[in-house]
Amino acid sequence: MKLIRKVQVKNQLGLHTRPATAIVRLLQTSKSEVFFSHKSETINAKSILSILILAATKNSKITIQVEGEDADETMEKLVEAFENQFGE
Amino acid sequence: MPLTVEETMLNGLPICRGIAIGKPFFLNREEFKPQELNINPGDMKIEIERYRLALSRSKQDIKRLQRQLESESSDETIKILDGQLEMLQDPLLTEEIETEICSTEKNAEFVLQNALERFQKQFEKLGDAYFKERFQDVKDIIRRVTTYLQEGRNLSLRDVPPNSIVCAYDLSASDAAESTYGYVKAFITECGGAASHAGIVAKAKGIPFLTSVNVNMLKGTQGQMVIVDGRLGKVIINPSQETQTAYEQLLREIGDQSRTLEERTKWPSETFDGHRITLSANIESNKEIDLVHQFNGAGIGLFRSEYIFLPRSEIPDEEEQHQIYSELVEGMRGLPVVIRTFDLAGDKAPLLGSNTGKSNLFLGGRSTRFLLKQKKVFKEQIRAILRASVKGNVRIMFPMISTMQELRQAKSILKESQEELGLTDPIPIGCMIEVPSAAMIADYFARECDFLSIGTNDLVQYSLAVDRSDQMQNEFYEPTDPGVIRLIKWIIDQADREEIPVSVCGEMASDPRFVPLLLGLGVQELSVTPRALPTIKNAIRNTSIVEAIQLAEAALEMATAKQVLDLLSDEYQKMVPQDLFYNAS
Repeated sequence: MKLIRKVQVKNQLGLHTRPATAIVRLLQTSKSEVFFSHKSETINAKSILSILILAATKNSKITIQVEGEDADETMEKLVEAFENQFGE
Repeated sequence: MPLTVEETMLNGLPICRGIAIGKPFFLNREEFKPQELNINPGDMKIEIERYRLALSRSKQDIKRLQRQLESESSDETIKILDGQLEMLQDPLLTEEIETEICSTEKNAEFVLQNALERFQKQFEKLGDAYFKERFQDVKDIIRRVTTYLQEGRNLSLRDVPPNSIVCAYDLSASDAAESTYGYVKAFITECGGAASHAGIVAKAKGIPFLTSVNVNMLKGTQGQMVIVDGRLGKVIINPSQETQTAYEQLLREIGDQSRTLEERTKWPSETFDGHRITLSANIESNKEIDLVHQFNGAGIGLFRSEYIFLPRSEIPDEEEQHQIYSELVEGMRGLPVVIRTFDLAGDKAPLLGSNTGKSNLFLGGRSTRFLLKQKKVFKEQIRAILRASVKGNVRIMFPMISTMQELRQAKSILKESQEELGLTDPIPIGCMIEVPSAAMIADYFARECDFLSIGTNDLVQYSLAVDRSDQMQNEFYEPTDPGVIRLIKWIIDQADREEIPVSVCGEMASDPRFVPLLLGLGVQELSVTPRALPTIKNAIRNTSIVEAIQLAEAALEMATAKQVLDLLSDEYQKMVPQDLFYNAS
């Protein structure tokens, strides 16, 4: 199953180290492949370095792509994390 | 105009005598630019393992750091370190680096360095200053991993070009251990004392070693010939044709001398007036057994068991240790083998990756004291030795015993292990007298041991309050100090009263000039690095025990180390005038 959603970065500092850490930790148990697209870049969301290099600042729009057996669940958790600003 | 370069002489302190002619090779740890090396496809698995180990050790480091920060409640830093921990598991640094190691067939450090440069470019392109700054974290962890990669198995020393004179600020025991004879011709360092473990390893390998040399003076000589004279403590840069010819001639003569002495190791180990001395070998690896047989060693007087950690920095389990000791015991074919239990801490602390901090490595929890606190480790080792002991002639030696209580505790662990294994035959045990206070109660130790062994390296450093790895203190590290000689005499007298033998296994025994003195003091066994067996046997055979006793009496009356050394050097010159090595002046 392949899911695609658009989210907006609400954190003050964008997807900096702390949210990026939260994302890769959240995805550690996921069996799906997860990609973020921002501007013209698409990266593996399980790689903290790639997320940082994406340099998504506040209000950036990110396209999330999830593909795999637990895609539903993974997407839900991710969107929720973006919504509550990774607990910041 | 042709560039004229003059022959220049640098002075240093000889740790391992010997002469070498070669080209300088700089070992620079500080420089963050790893060498590019090719990895054989067959070794790829090992290279990957090495990389994974470096990653996992880096992770442990960061976690430890976090725990420490917790107590200081620096939440922000803990979060940053969380990010670093994630980076260490990032597919870009795990799978991708591994794939790249395999596809490029290059060493992990080099591949990682390339990755770092790629990251740098990517981060530099980012418009946002905040994100740009995150590159520091990447750099930080890559540096950490690289440090681990370069430690232990030292790539740069394993792969030096042939005929290299290795120049470094400092050298670790594992650096010296990784060097191959023929490739590394000599070591020149700024730091490192006369009895540092790097020095001991260099001696075991017969690699000339000079310390306290201003290594910077050698920079800019790369590609040029350098002569190292370990007898005189001199480094000659840009040698004239004349000098070079003279040294080449000397090398040939020393080679001839060595071959003659090696041939003569078949002769009995006794003074020319018929006094028998047991001449054994100190070894740290089973690889040295062949050399011991080749030079007719009477057995192993000291097996430095802690070196079995090299190069992996972790303690092998009982089974693996049992195999190592069995191989040793069987390899010695019934000749006596003295296995010393782990002598850890001091300058060997890094072997265990122990995190005791840099200060006071030589005091406090080292050796047997350390083992008595790590009972599980101690017991596993004792059991492994006991199980191997049935295959030959084994004795156990406890290092750096300083009180009777320590000796008794160690013995009770031994007894416990014997009972568990159902071994009833007593195994001879001995302890190393290396602490002055222990020397003073040697009579008590002699009553509860089957033999005593004097570790002169530590006895000298603890007696004279001189850190033997401290270069500033080198001039004070004097094995011929009259105080030390009197202590040795005292220990031997106590052992004589209990009728147990005393051996000397420190570096002092490997210097032929000290042989008459030690024999004269009543030492019955000398244990030396295998390469010194020919020279030492030759010295024994040229000694008269009667004259040696008189010599020892004279030395015991002297006031300074210099007087004693002069006396011994003169005596040796008279005794073995043909020695090109020790009679150089």
